[in-house]
Amino acid sequence: MKGVLKSLGATANAFVRRPVTRQYPEMHRDLPERDRAFPILLWDDDIDEPYCTGCHACERACPVECMTVLMKDNPNHESVGGDSRRRKIIDKFWIDYARCMRCNICVEVCNFEAIAMNNTWTGHEVSVYDRADLVMDLPQLLAQHRAGELDEWVADI
Amino acid sequence: MNVGLFGIENVNIWVDAVIRLQLIVILMTVVVMGLIYGERKIIGRFQRRLGPMRTGPFGILQSLADALKLVGKEDLRPRGADPWVFELAVYFVFVPVFMAFVAVPFAFDWNVRVLELGLFYVVAISSINIVGWVMAGWASDNRYAMLGALRAAAQGISYELPLILSLIAVSMVVSTDAGRGSLDLGVIVAEQGHIPYIVWQPLAFAIFYVAMLAELNRTPFDIPVGESEVVGGPFVEYSGIRWSMFFLAEYAGLFILSLVGAAVFLGGWAWPLGEEVGPVWQLLLTAGKALLLIFSVFWVRVTMPRMRIDQLMGFSWKVLLPMSFALILVNGLILVYDWPDVVLLASNVVGLIALYLIIDRGITRRRVRPPARAGAATTA
Repeated sequence: MKGVLKSLGATANAFVRRPVTRQYPEMHRDLPERDRAFPILLWDDDIDEPYCTGCHACERACPVECMTVLMKDNPNHESVGGDSRRRKIIDKFWIDYARCMRCNICVEVCNFEAIAMNNTWTGHEVSVYDRADLVMDLPQLLAQHRAGELDEWVADI
Repeated sequence: MNVGLFGIENVNIWVDAVIRLQLIVILMTVVVMGLIYGERKIIGRFQRRLGPMRTGPFGILQSLADALKLVGKEDLRPRGADPWVFELAVYFVFVPVFMAFVAVPFAFDWNVRVLELGLFYVVAISSINIVGWVMAGWASDNRYAMLGALRAAAQGISYELPLILSLIAVSMVVSTDAGRGSLDLGVIVAEQGHIPYIVWQPLAFAIFYVAMLAELNRTPFDIPVGESEVVGGPFVEYSGIRWSMFFLAEYAGLFILSLVGAAVFLGGWAWPLGEEVGPVWQLLLTAGKALLLIFSVFWVRVTMPRMRIDQLMGFSWKVLLPMSFALILVNGLILVYDWPDVVLLASNVVGLIALYLIIDRGITRRRVRPPARAGAATTA
């Protein structure tokens, strides 16, 4: 009987405390800084071009083969009067977010630290009406870091 | 006694009756929708959630949305069901609850009808819905429904007795001009101007409260409708508007029994403001006390797990019923010998302690396991 009264007290205690619910679409909880959403490409602000050289390392390492990479000669290279030291640069890049399993391997194998896992809510909220819209092209992959919208841990590297 | 409707005299009696009943139906529907919303909100808070938040500001339109959805759903009837009994069962559950409303006093001289046997009328009419449950369960042609209906009948009949006896225990100590004892709810309330009967009759209130929980099939006594055992009890096969009428009756029953409890034990409109403060304050008092009881019902619901059927029946027949009989006997003894009211209180407190100890023993008693049968494989 004492237990019954104690349990009533326990529920009363829960009643007077604040609810833990967050109203999700209006209110996002803070993500951990190493949160892992889909991979995106990073933007080299110093030279104003992507870090990615299109070396295919990530494409070859990807276990679900969700990436397609095309390389080109860098039109901004020193040898042609530009200010970049990258001889080759990324031409076209597609990642199929519908296939990606967010394993982080592409980030591990990247020699130029040109790819990272998105650690913002934008990286999680990618629902679309057409499956084809989940295949992201180069401008889409670069846009977020270029606009400086990534959180600390990824943006720092 | 029975004043005209809104002060208008000489209204045709049929028009009068129709308007009064219509008022009850509207009031109950609105109150029930409020109660459902309140229950979801309160239970949400008890579990540190927010409850409904999406439909309208703070989710206040949630009940309305649910009601519209239920009205829009198809009214199904199983092929093997008994058509007449299946469809009539709803009304046997639904109508008595509303009829019980007729006798409840909301404020001084504010009720649908003043009945001199009001308390008797309320308990008599509110026990009819057991018939409706059995009809629903039997007509559904579903084993779960049948099982749930029989459980509902067993539980309803067992807890009807302590409920009524505890109310009788109070009604016999009511002191009127003509001596002790009254079944008129208006008189019972009016006599509590100074001290509500929960003070003189705490044991009766305890019995009433437990029996009320059981009578309403609320947790921890929601055995007839326990989802994990008999899916939905007698209402498994019902859908759409018929199911929502069962639901409506359930919450209306909660409201009506809370009103009766507030009137009989907590002093209704009379305590502590008296007769002269006007209907507004008295209505607020009555509603507030009823809501307090309803809140405690939600609180218990969110705290307690469901009991077993044998525990449930045993608690009614072995504990509550003898206690309420003893209470009536002792009350009668005190009234016959005209002992002061303090003796009433003392006997009740003794009874309350006894009830506590009995429940305590029932919970903490060590159960002796039956000896293993000879030849039964012993697996460690």
